[in-house]
Amino acid sequence: MVVLAGVSVIVFALVHLVPGDPVRLALGTRFSQETYDALRERSGLDQPLLAQFSGWLGRALSGDLGVSFRSGDTVTSLIAERLPATLTLAFASILVALLIAVPLGILSALRPRSVVDRIATVLSQIGISVPEFWMAIVLILVFSGTLGWLPSGGYVPLSEDPLGWLERLVMPAVVTGVVSGSVITRFVRSSVLEALGSDHVRTAQAKGLPGRQVFTWHALRNALLPLVTVTGVQLAYLLSGVVVVEIVFSWPGLGQLALQAVQARDYPVLQGAILLFAVVFLLINLVVDLLYTAIDPRIRR
Amino acid sequence: MRTNRLLPLLAAGALVLGACGGGGESVDTGGGGGGGDDVLAAAVSAQPDQFDPHSTNAYASFQVLENVYDTLVVPNPEDLTMEPSLATEWATSEDDLTWTFTLREGVTFHDGSEFDSADVVYSYNRIIDEDLSNAYRFANVESVAADGPQTVVITLTQPTPNLLERIGAFKGMSIIPEGAADELDLTTEAIGTGPFRLESSDASSTVLTAYEDYWGGAPSIDGVEFRYITEPAAALTALQNGEVQWTDNIPPQQIESLQGDDTVELQTTPSVDSWYMSMNYARPPFDNRDVRRAISFAVDREAVAEAAWFGAAQPNQTAIPQDSFFHSDYAPFSPDPDQARQLLQQAGVQTPLTMGLMVTDEYPETVTAAQVVAGQLEQVGITVEIETLDFATWLDRQGKGDYDAFLLGWLGNLDPAAYYEEQHKTGGSNNYQGYSNPQVDQLLAAGAAETDPDARKAIYDQAAQLIVDDVSYLYLYNPDVVQAWAPGLSGYQIRADKAINFETVELP
Repeated sequence: MVVLAGVSVIVFALVHLVPGDPVRLALGTRFSQETYDALRERSGLDQPLLAQFSGWLGRALSGDLGVSFRSGDTVTSLIAERLPATLTLAFASILVALLIAVPLGILSALRPRSVVDRIATVLSQIGISVPEFWMAIVLILVFSGTLGWLPSGGYVPLSEDPLGWLERLVMPAVVTGVVSGSVITRFVRSSVLEALGSDHVRTAQAKGLPGRQVFTWHALRNALLPLVTVTGVQLAYLLSGVVVVEIVFSWPGLGQLALQAVQARDYPVLQGAILLFAVVFLLINLVVDLLYTAIDPRIRR
Repeated sequence: MRTNRLLPLLAAGALVLGACGGGGESVDTGGGGGGGDDVLAAAVSAQPDQFDPHSTNAYASFQVLENVYDTLVVPNPEDLTMEPSLATEWATSEDDLTWTFTLREGVTFHDGSEFDSADVVYSYNRIIDEDLSNAYRFANVESVAADGPQTVVITLTQPTPNLLERIGAFKGMSIIPEGAADELDLTTEAIGTGPFRLESSDASSTVLTAYEDYWGGAPSIDGVEFRYITEPAAALTALQNGEVQWTDNIPPQQIESLQGDDTVELQTTPSVDSWYMSMNYARPPFDNRDVRRAISFAVDREAVAEAAWFGAAQPNQTAIPQDSFFHSDYAPFSPDPDQARQLLQQAGVQTPLTMGLMVTDEYPETVTAAQVVAGQLEQVGITVEIETLDFATWLDRQGKGDYDAFLLGWLGNLDPAAYYEEQHKTGGSNNYQGYSNPQVDQLLAAGAAETDPDARKAIYDQAAQLIVDDVSYLYLYNPDVVQAWAPGLSGYQIRADKAINFETVELP
C-alpha cells in the first residue's frame, strides 16, 4: 500500500510534468478561445493541481479512476475491455518463451561450448536483437500474405470463436515469446551450469547416485529459483502491454491503450494504466516470493 | 493415464494443423458483424475516440459518423460544391442576412422519431451554447429559429457567402434528435438519420447496420465493420487475403506497384489537404521577406513531394488544390539556388544560417519532407536542425512561439476563407507566424462577404498572390487521397475531402 501511494504521487506528478495540453490536442488546430475554456472547465483541468490530485486520489481509493478525456468512457471500463486480450497474449507468450528457453537452456548447460551450446547462444542473440516490429511484419507477410494460413491480426474472445482466437494469437505470441524466450534461455543456461558445478551436486555424484536423479533432484531444483524470478519479471513486462506487437497485429491490449493515452495526454487513462502496471508488478513479486518458499525449504524457515 | 493426458495435446496439435490447412483460401473473417451476411469489412488506421459529432475532432470518428448522421447540406462528391441533404432548398434575403432552409419531409431518425426543424435548432444551439469544437463555424450567426416544422431560419450578423460550407462541410455539423444530449450518452451512442446505425464499438472494431428506413433508400449492404489496423503493411495484407474489402491505410511506398496489381483496386485523387512550412517572424532573420523568399526559392517542392509521398502528392505553391473552383495556378518560385543565395546576401545574412525545423511523428511524412528540405537548404548555406516531437509537445511549442520554423498541414478545408483567413490575417487565431499585410487583411475581409462566386474567386486569387509572394506560408503540396478495395466492389466513390460513404456500395 505504501508503495502504491508513492507510485500514485509520482505518476500524477510525472504525467502532469510532461509538456503538452490535452485540451489543445482534443480541439485540433481550429477553435475559439471560448471553446477552449469550456472544454478545459469540463475536464476539470482548470482546477489547481493539488485539488486535481486529491480529487483523483479520493475517487481512486473507492475504485473510481475517473473518465477519459478522449472518449468519455470510464477508465475502469477501458482497462477492463482490454484486460482479456493482454492476459491472453502475456500468458501465451510466456508459454512460448518457456517452451523455447527451458529445453534450449538445459541442453546448452549440459554440453557447454559444444555445437548445441553455440547454436543456442547465436539463436538467443538473434532473438534479442531482431526488432519485434520487423519479425512481426515478416510473419504477417509470409503467413497471412503469401501462404494465407493465418489472419493478419485482430482479436476475438475465446468464448466467441475458439479457432479464430487461436489463429489470431499464434503470431503475436510467437514474436513476443521468442524475444522473452531468448532472454530466459540465457538465465536457464547459466543457472543450470552453476548448479551443476556446485558442491552438493558433486557430493551426490560422488555418492554414486544415477546421473538422471542428480540432475533433476539436485541441479534442476536449484536452478529453478533464478528461472522463476526472471520469468516473473518477463511476465510483468508482458502484462503491461507490448506496444509494438499490439500495434502491428491490431491486438487491443493495454499497451495500445497506454500509448494512445500518452499521445492524447489523456491523464486519467494514463494514471489508471500506470497504477495498474504497478499493481501487476507488486502481485507478481508476491507470487514469485510465494513460489520461492515452495521451491526452497530454507526460505520457509 | 499417460495416453489420456496426451489426448488433449494431440487434439490441440490437430487444431493447429487444421487451422494451417487452409492454404491460399481466404481466411474466415470471424468476429463482430451484426445483422445480415453482406457486411463490408473496412480496415481503418485508428480507433474513433468518441461518437459525439459535435465534440470529436478525430478523423477516425468522422469515418464512422459520415455513415450515421446527416447534415443540412453536403459536399457533392465530384466538385465538393454544396448540395441538398436534410435541407431540400434554401433562399437568402435581399440583404443576405437571412437564410431560409426548407427541410426534407419523411425523414426519420434511427429510433423511428420524425425529423423536423426542432432538431436542427436544437443541434445548432447545442454547438453554439456549449461552445463545442465547431462553435467558430457559427461566428456570424445571430440566431437559429424554426418557422413551422419544415422550415429553419438562420439570421446572420453579416453576409456569409460560405454559410453552406460552414454548416455542411463535414459531419461535425450533424443533426441530432432534439434532447439527445440529455437522453443518450452521445460519446458512445448515436441516433442519426444516416444510412447506417451505430450498432456497437469496442477496442477492435466498430459495427454499423443498415437503416432500412433511410430517406435515401436502404443501403445495398447489410452493414459495415470498421476494423482498426494501424500498421499499413498489415492492412494491405488483410485486403489482399480477403479479410477486409476496403482500406485507406496503404503503405505509401507501395502505391506505385499496386497500381498495376489486379489483386486490389487502388484509386487516388488529389485531396483538399494543404501542407506547408511556416517561419516564425518573431525570430530574426525570418522576419525578413528576402530571407523567406530565398528559402522559398531554395525548396524544390516536386522533390519534397516525391520523397515524402512517393509521388502521391501534387506540388502547389498556393493552398487550394487544382480540382477546386477556387484553385489559383500562381507559382512564382521555380527552384533556383543561385537566386536564393543572392537574396540571402542582399538581406545581409551571414551563412551558414541555422534554422530549427519542428516536425511531428504524428504525421510521419513531414519528417521525411523535413529531411529533403534540409538537404535543399544546405545548398544555399542554411543548416536545418530538424526536431521531431510528439504532437502534444509540438502544439505546445507552436502555441508558445518556441520555434524557428515548422511543417504541418491544413486538413479538410473546402472554402477559400477556411484556407486563408485565420492563417494570414493580422492577429488571426491561427496566424502563429505573425504575418501582417493590410492589403491582405482588406482582401480577406472582402472575400468573406462577397456573394458572387466569380468575384469572390478573383479576390482570393489576389490575396493568395500576396501571401505567396511574402511567403507568409511556404506552401508545399496537396497529397493524394489513396484508397484501395477488393476487385469487383462497386458503388464506392473516392472523394477529395476524404469523407468515406458506404451507402451505395455493393460487395463483389
